[in-house]
Amino acid sequence: MMPKRKSRVGKGPGITTYVLLLLVAVLSFFPYYWMFVVASNDTSVINEVPPRLVPGDRFMENVRTVFNNVPFGRALLNSAIVASLAALAQTFFSALAGYAFSKIQFKGRNVLFVIIIATMMVPLQLGVVPQFLLISRLGWVNDLRALIVPGTVSAFGVFWMRQAIDAAVPDELIQAARVDGAGTFRTFRSIVVPSIRPQASVLALFAFMFMWNDFFWPLIVLNKQDAFTVQVALRQVQEQAYVTDYAIQMAGTIVGTVPLFIVFLIFGKQIVGGIMEGALKG
Amino acid sequence: MTAAVEISDVTKRFGDVVAVDNIDLTIADGEFFAMLGPSGCGKTTTLRMIAGLDFPTEGSLKIFGDEVGTLPPNKRPVNTVFQNYALFPHMSVLDNVSFGLRMQKVDKATAAARAKESIELVQLGGYEKRRPNQLSGGQQQRVALARALVNEPKVLLLDEPLGALDLKLRQEMQGELKSLQRDLGVSFVFVTHDQEEALTMSDRIAVMNEGKLLQVGSPEEIYERPANRFVADFIGQTNLIEGTVADETTIVLTNGARVAAPSDHAAGTAVALSLRPERATLTPAGAVEAADGRTSVDGVIAGVTYLGNALVYDVALDWMTIEVREENRPAGDRPSPGDRVAVSWTTSDASVVV
Repeated sequence: MMPKRKSRVGKGPGITTYVLLLLVAVLSFFPYYWMFVVASNDTSVINEVPPRLVPGDRFMENVRTVFNNVPFGRALLNSAIVASLAALAQTFFSALAGYAFSKIQFKGRNVLFVIIIATMMVPLQLGVVPQFLLISRLGWVNDLRALIVPGTVSAFGVFWMRQAIDAAVPDELIQAARVDGAGTFRTFRSIVVPSIRPQASVLALFAFMFMWNDFFWPLIVLNKQDAFTVQVALRQVQEQAYVTDYAIQMAGTIVGTVPLFIVFLIFGKQIVGGIMEGALKG
Repeated sequence: MTAAVEISDVTKRFGDVVAVDNIDLTIADGEFFAMLGPSGCGKTTTLRMIAGLDFPTEGSLKIFGDEVGTLPPNKRPVNTVFQNYALFPHMSVLDNVSFGLRMQKVDKATAAARAKESIELVQLGGYEKRRPNQLSGGQQQRVALARALVNEPKVLLLDEPLGALDLKLRQEMQGELKSLQRDLGVSFVFVTHDQEEALTMSDRIAVMNEGKLLQVGSPEEIYERPANRFVADFIGQTNLIEGTVADETTIVLTNGARVAAPSDHAAGTAVALSLRPERATLTPAGAVEAADGRTSVDGVIAGVTYLGNALVYDVALDWMTIEVREENRPAGDRPSPGDRVAVSWTTSDASVVV
């Protein structure tokens, strides 16, 4: 038994592993494929038994319908603005807060941190009414600021960055920078940020995806077509009120997902690059 | 003697824990000074207070006559080499070394030139573009030194600088640090728990335990005349032979033997005679005459440890076992287990500690 296991290690994963992985990969990819099948036919295929598995030729037509029915280009732009600004801001502010919680001694530090973590347990829906009142008083209804500003920092982000800084930046590194005369912010910029680039990229990616996919809050604060984000626009894409045109909705969903894929590709590379160069010796 | 560092009545508390307990210490300019003690004795805290990374709770701390109090680290004429080097992992050797200069707004070209000089000084010329993770432990240590020296500190603080190196490299670096210090003429204050390192390298040593400063002196003073039981036991090997002070010149050992040992402790004080294993002499039982001016106790060889150049004998006395270390001699010429022997020493070979 033992020698067999040993030789397995030398050879790498066996055929069973590959078959299983392939199966999981196919299962994960299938919904996207079928989304394209529906998006390239008309809505009736969704009810066919057995389901149709071959793409049709109406994809471009359906995409055109999406763009005709709602200002989808504008929605894409809005989502891009909201998601990128919020992701950048969230990464920056979370890293700053994480740095403070990890490396700066101040009174009430632990209590404050627990309070921040505790906010993660409060359901989003609970805060919607007061948050809406606040936003409306600020005059930000139908304004992208209503999405960006609440997205500039998150409890999860603060927690994530604190853990990252704890793990990647030894206290001695901060002290060495202090000995050399670097102030708190300079230390953050020159020492901490480069050391946590991989984890920061991951947070930026999470934040971007969350903001891009967010539906509930944008639906509440945006009611003019010009201000719609992708997810809200997708809801409004059909012409008739009571029948859902799945083909059109799927076409819109595909167009709305492409930017996410692009962002993922860019950041994915950065994450790997970051890990390669990050290698910190304690 | 110009004082580089003057510590007066300094106490440092962390909450209820007293890390450094009311110490007084003066370190001279150009001195190689070691702070020695076991983990948690307060030596690193003392170093950090000189560095400006921690501040005293009470007392005064002066560097070249100026009270430094709560002055930040970069405003003091000191620099620190950290235990794990603390090199910035994403920066090249050159950037690591010139970081401090750039913080002082020295222009880029000058900073690079001075950094290069400092890198040459620690014999790492040619490694300027490497990253820390492309260097060996010893090389990283040199970069850390160069980074501290480039700022031209008047006092260089080193926190267990050789702790992470293997034995051979450590011995090599000990020599280099010593000669670097001589060449530069600045004070080096280094913290170590390795007594051999402290004895080899320093001009003076401060021994600390539980936040207290127990003794300050030259390696020889510390080794030959330990101030107390802890110092005697911590520095090198020693036999602590328990006894009680009889008068100014005599103590009574546990077995009732009266031995000559001058001390200024009051009669009746429980003391120990600290006798270094290499200062004791072995002779066949009965061979030592009291007239020789030697103190002698009888015992039986319980064991012999062969060390190559030396032999260590465990000699069982009636009430305890003591170690005697002698130069190696041919097998036929050495006592073997079971032999009755006399262990003797002169009065000046042993010291009385409390």
